[in-house]
Amino acid sequence: MGDSILHVGIDLGTSRSAISASNGERFVVDSFVGWPLDMVAKKVLKRDVLIGHEAVSNRTMLDLHRPLERGLLKEGSEKDVEAVRELLKHLLKLVGVNGKVKASDVRAVVGVPAAALRTNKQYLRSSMKGIVDSLLIVSEPFAVAYGLDALLHTMIIDIGAGTTDFCVMKGRYPTEEDQRTLTIAGDSIDTQLLKLTEDRYPQANVTIFMVRDWKENFSFVGDVKERCVVTAPVKGVPTELDITNEIKAACETILPPIIETMIDLLARVEPEFQERVRNNIILSGGGGLIRGLAHELETALKSVGGGSVRYMEDPVFVGSDGGLALAIDAPEGDWEKLTA
Amino acid sequence: MRATKSTRVKRRVLREAVAENLDVIRGIPPRSVRPGNRFLRIWTRRVLFVAVPLTLVGSTYVISQTTPQPITVAALPLRPVAAPPQVKAVVSASALQTERVTSAAFPLAVRRVVIDAGHGGSDPGATTSEIQEKEITLDIGRRLRALLERDGFEVVVTRDRDHTIALKDRALVANQSKSDIFVSIHVNALAKYTESRGIETYYLGATSDPSLTALAAAENRVSGYSMADMRKLLDGIYADARRDESHELASAVQRKLYASLRKSDPGLENWGVKRAPFVVLVATDMPAILAEVGCISNKKEAALLRKADYRQEIADALFEGIRAYSGANDPQQQKGSEQNG
Repeated sequence: MGDSILHVGIDLGTSRSAISASNGERFVVDSFVGWPLDMVAKKVLKRDVLIGHEAVSNRTMLDLHRPLERGLLKEGSEKDVEAVRELLKHLLKLVGVNGKVKASDVRAVVGVPAAALRTNKQYLRSSMKGIVDSLLIVSEPFAVAYGLDALLHTMIIDIGAGTTDFCVMKGRYPTEEDQRTLTIAGDSIDTQLLKLTEDRYPQANVTIFMVRDWKENFSFVGDVKERCVVTAPVKGVPTELDITNEIKAACETILPPIIETMIDLLARVEPEFQERVRNNIILSGGGGLIRGLAHELETALKSVGGGSVRYMEDPVFVGSDGGLALAIDAPEGDWEKLTA
Repeated sequence: MRATKSTRVKRRVLREAVAENLDVIRGIPPRSVRPGNRFLRIWTRRVLFVAVPLTLVGSTYVISQTTPQPITVAALPLRPVAAPPQVKAVVSASALQTERVTSAAFPLAVRRVVIDAGHGGSDPGATTSEIQEKEITLDIGRRLRALLERDGFEVVVTRDRDHTIALKDRALVANQSKSDIFVSIHVNALAKYTESRGIETYYLGATSDPSLTALAAAENRVSGYSMADMRKLLDGIYADARRDESHELASAVQRKLYASLRKSDPGLENWGVKRAPFVVLVATDMPAILAEVGCISNKKEAALLRKADYRQEIADALFEGIRAYSGANDPQQQKGSEQNG
């Protein structure tokens, strides 16, 4: 049985979902699922369901769903449950499940926001029945910490699309006191950037999808030398727009709540360990790629004695890799207990 | 040496992660909200320390009461007092019962329902030039009341006409009536997003979403509670059966609302089940939800809400949601549905 088992770590994100598998495969997909709106669309698309970037690209022909809200499965919506099941099936198929590996041989660890309620976890667990039966659900920043072997005197700040999760690792499984979740994250930057761009260029035709791409290409806080110039239709004519100030303003909206939460959590660490945690702060998630963010956080830390903030080189997979490490390390006896 | 320590820490956190998952599967509250385990251990030791001698003394007393004749100690053979089973009983009954007993352990049917029609009197709620939230909620509330009473439920209403009633008094009505569930009916208004329309159902819980905080602040305006009262109420919030049951009720209602109303309005969005600290949810003693059954700021939705047929559809969906929740908790209904199914 041992050889046929496939361990996977899944970062089920509001915007993107990543999977890392013990067979060496790693994939990331946009967390969008769409069904053709009518028979014509079905005929054109030649598919019953589209997932990820493909779904976003063909969204005009689809009943498009983004099934995760603030990192959690939307509740009370059967279509969104179906969407998240399709997303999971797709992720598992990408790493070979149902091809070379049977679903019953999968051992999965899924990361959820730090503040996820017990009811949220129960709902996720029941929604995944039949796709992943052997399931361990952990807080996303904890998965990151585990993968980096940073389980002692470390603070993880995981900035996703729906949530920013904080977790102070104290050499134990984090409790509610050690963790925080803010809903100020990538999506709130998108909303701000869309509003600021529309305010400055009222005649430009801009969508949230365009704004998301711009943010991913140009996001920064503090000062940068180059200008952020994008192209968008103005009265139907492709036109170059300088959105440097708008990008900066939108990205900087997340700074005050992140700084406030970081310092508040640090103040709750036992005094003798505070300096060690201050010098061991790790940024992960897509938001970790915002240029200048680590520097701004370090500047803020000066008011409490200084500290060090570092980026992860591979922020997209750091959560799923951590989940994979947990899945591999969990003894088979524990997996038997966790099997639905 | 460091590698060994790291491996040890990894093993421990992994074990704790698995234990937390097993707690979730078994429906046991998180360790952080359980009665302090440390205190439990101390008290278990104290109970043992006190209970053993007490039981011994008590047993001797019972023996002495049932054998009143003067006898000499030497005349009696020494018999062990049955202390261990009694001590075990004392401990297991009082101290070792730390696992939460879920409502599933004693399924109770919903008999009495509080309907709270949002706003009223001098507080019109969300308004357009043609319609006010207080009128819509009262009309839907009346329709829902008729449906529930016809089905055998007892119904208590916080208001049955257009008058102002503080949120505190709404909670008081609900609590004094000793009702089983509380359903508050509201209508959304999104000034900045007039193109959006959807339905959402709330249950009690903290939120870090500023938009939900703003919504709760707007709905909490006529609360009648001071800050000190609020703090006391919030301190009383517990992560246990009432919140879980409220969540179940909110999910059942949201499912029925969306499934039913999207037939009349295919563009309606499902905004799901959410947590927010609305006063009526905080201050009521029973499972409580607040349903935002429509969005008056959207022209199409406002036009639908003006129609009696559509308001009846909303009342029907709320009724079906309450019935679904009630059925899930009622062993007799469950039995019936199994047989039917």
